[in-house]
Amino acid sequence: MTIVKTPRDKRIIFIYALTLAGIIVWLAAIALAPYLRSQGHGLAPFVYACFSPLCHQVPSRSFYIFGFPLAVCARCLGIYLGFFAGTMLYPLRRGFSALRLPKTPAFLAVSFPIVFDTAANILHIWKTPNVLRLATGILWGLILPFYFITGVAEISLHWTRKKH
Amino acid sequence: MNGQKPSIFTPALIGGAVAGILSGIPFLNCLCCLWIIGGAILAAYLLSKDSPVTMTAGDGALVGAFTGLFAAIVHALISIPLKALNIVFFRRLLEKLSEYTQDIGDWRQWFDRGTGPVSISWFLLGLIITAAIFAVLGALGGIIGTGLFGKKTPPPAQPQPPQAAPPQP
Repeated sequence: MTIVKTPRDKRIIFIYALTLAGIIVWLAAIALAPYLRSQGHGLAPFVYACFSPLCHQVPSRSFYIFGFPLAVCARCLGIYLGFFAGTMLYPLRRGFSALRLPKTPAFLAVSFPIVFDTAANILHIWKTPNVLRLATGILWGLILPFYFITGVAEISLHWTRKKH
Repeated sequence: MNGQKPSIFTPALIGGAVAGILSGIPFLNCLCCLWIIGGAILAAYLLSKDSPVTMTAGDGALVGAFTGLFAAIVHALISIPLKALNIVFFRRLLEKLSEYTQDIGDWRQWFDRGTGPVSISWFLLGLIITAAIFAVLGALGGIIGTGLFGKKTPPPAQPQPPQAAPPQP
């Protein structure tokens, strides 16, 4: 890992920390929905509703905790868990000095399983168990923070330069 | 070509309309957030097509975020008529299914969650939350689109014509 020296590095670390905090809150909210529902809390439908534009939330395609389905399906959960894992890996792979996007072949390689499996399920060629849906989601989610942190940090640095 | 970057408005509008419609249509919405990311990738592609210079990841994030905002508005607008249609359609489907199997409990539970009346304030709150989430996902899609399509290879340098020798005095 490189030693932090410049304000640019500090800005990238700030964006990284925000992304990490964001995905932790996001994952916590996914688990919060069934917990609130198990407690009979009135906020449970609201938390489920927040995730409804993003996910079909079909119970049979979701994992259960506290006796109720999570707020997103197994594949979506995989994507967010993969995003979390990718964010944890980011400093080891990139450090906080270099900003560059992943190579296209790497993106296509991790996208192939989720695209192939989703297409096969839609076309009724086979029906994937939830654990495999989760796995394809995790694989795809792993690469996403390498795009997200790079892009958001670039915008942030651009705006900082403009301000000065 | 003047080396200027084109406006992000039109690509974001097209990508947002595509993502918003597809994510709102029943059955097609089984692809979850991938429609929003896909719409933003489309917007980044359209922007890079019109751009004479290489796009940065920041450009992709910006066009993607706007795509997400437009998608949220389109999604909310089409969900109003589609919700009533969905309720009628799924109620008939569940009634039909219940003639063949008893095992539709979790589908009925899933269906019942979305059939209550929606007030204007809930609609607006939902729109704001959806817009915020779609903007983040759109930014991600836009950056991916930039990674895939944003590079421009500079045209090969033209060989300079040999200069004529200056006239001898």
